[in-house]
Amino acid sequence: MNIAHDPWVWIGGLLTICIFSFLYKDNPFYKFAEHLFVGVANGYFLTFTVHRVLIPNLFTPLFREGRLFFILPLMVGMLYVMRFIPRVSWLVRIPIAITIGYYTGLVIPATVQADIIRQIQGTILTQQNFVAWNAGSAGIIWQAILFIGVVCTLSYFYFSREHKGVLGVTSRIGIIFIMIGFGAAFGYTVMARVSLLIGRFQFIIGPWLGIID
Amino acid sequence: MKIIEYLSRLDRRIIYLVLATVVMVPLVIPTVPRVRVMTPVEKLFNAVEAIPNDQILMLDFDYDPQTLPEIEPMGVAMLRHAFHRRTKVAVLSLYVQPLGLAKKALDQVTEEFNSRATSYEDSIIYGRDYVFLGWQPPPIVPLLGMGISIVDVYQRDYYGYRTDSLPMMQRVKNFNDVGILVSLSGATAPLWWIAYSQTRFGVAVGAGITAVSASEFYQYYQTGQFSGLMIGMKGAAEYEEMVQSRLSITSRRKASEALGSLTAAHLTMIAFIVVGNIGYFIRKRKEKGVQR
Repeated sequence: MNIAHDPWVWIGGLLTICIFSFLYKDNPFYKFAEHLFVGVANGYFLTFTVHRVLIPNLFTPLFREGRLFFILPLMVGMLYVMRFIPRVSWLVRIPIAITIGYYTGLVIPATVQADIIRQIQGTILTQQNFVAWNAGSAGIIWQAILFIGVVCTLSYFYFSREHKGVLGVTSRIGIIFIMIGFGAAFGYTVMARVSLLIGRFQFIIGPWLGIID
Repeated sequence: MKIIEYLSRLDRRIIYLVLATVVMVPLVIPTVPRVRVMTPVEKLFNAVEAIPNDQILMLDFDYDPQTLPEIEPMGVAMLRHAFHRRTKVAVLSLYVQPLGLAKKALDQVTEEFNSRATSYEDSIIYGRDYVFLGWQPPPIVPLLGMGISIVDVYQRDYYGYRTDSLPMMQRVKNFNDVGILVSLSGATAPLWWIAYSQTRFGVAVGAGITAVSASEFYQYYQTGQFSGLMIGMKGAAEYEEMVQSRLSITSRRKASEALGSLTAAHLTMIAFIVVGNIGYFIRKRKEKGVQR
């Protein structure tokens, strides 16, 4: 056993125990660790933003290098602060409108291309998609299941007609696919959460208590 | 029957204790089980293997302490792979939190290689073999800007050096010089690389993600938008297996060591779910009997 001598490792270890104590019941140690985390994360983000973003990208070019064009983004950015002055708080709409307009223009074509067009292409029964499964002739079966799954799941979310007849059958099949999807997602969630627990235990019995290397 | 009823009403704290024990024991007696490598991980490994000499591997470290145990072993294994085959690496983060973790992984792997190096040429040198570009917000700037010029987006690296002064960056201009970009993320960053960088500039994208988000990402692998995919601790262990079996690198395999605990925890949870369900049905049956 080789217990850590580094005080930071001890702080990390003790804070981990504070957080784990919530499993027994809510308590002041847990609350302390939780608040400390939020405070440190915010402080870290703020400091980094000032030193790594504002100073090199705005203050240095504007005030040291005299590039006056940078006064424009500074002024637009400052309009965000106007919301604290009730008389001119409407000015905050200007930077918000610029941001929303910019990102909407950017996101729509990218999302349509990456999330809709490519996904539709990937669902169609083509030779290229059969091969992509890397499963030989079974690729056709996998692709057919995928196709049926997508069509039936979409039909489940079609609410403009009563789910009767053909639509009733397809939507019921759709529910089966949705449930399988939820099951897989839950299984993966369990795996992820257990992995995080393992990570903490590796830290506790490794660098902190020195039971393992 | 009584025992099953008792188990189905077990206090949650006892369940936590049992789970903690089954997770802890395999860690104290560490064994590395044989890991079967799945196709998505093999494809990612092969994509890195296929990077030509005049192109680089770009690694986006976008995980934070919450997802560290799952994602960090992926980053470490990929750095080992790249440095072993002398592929140049550029590391960056789209968010501020992962910067320290990215530096930690870089320091660990460069130290591993440099402690074994016998000459300067053999060593992993900053600026020559890898660069740490750091963080340039907002994320959309590197996502689109690097398609035109990397050094214009990251004028200074994480350490404050001018990027255009680094030897490696003399011939790395934009995404055309990137063999594959691998996003190691606890959130949705890999999808952004696809939506913006791949759609617009055609850069190949791979991903290392947490198990929680696996079901969101598989469809992008199926369509070929991801060249390869690592999912959770299991995915990391598979990549570690590839690095060890194909490249004979025998460094510590943190994700593989954890697989015993992962299996034990899963079996325990399955047992609890089965027992809980049996107990529920027994109780329901009894209640029906009383009503009659």
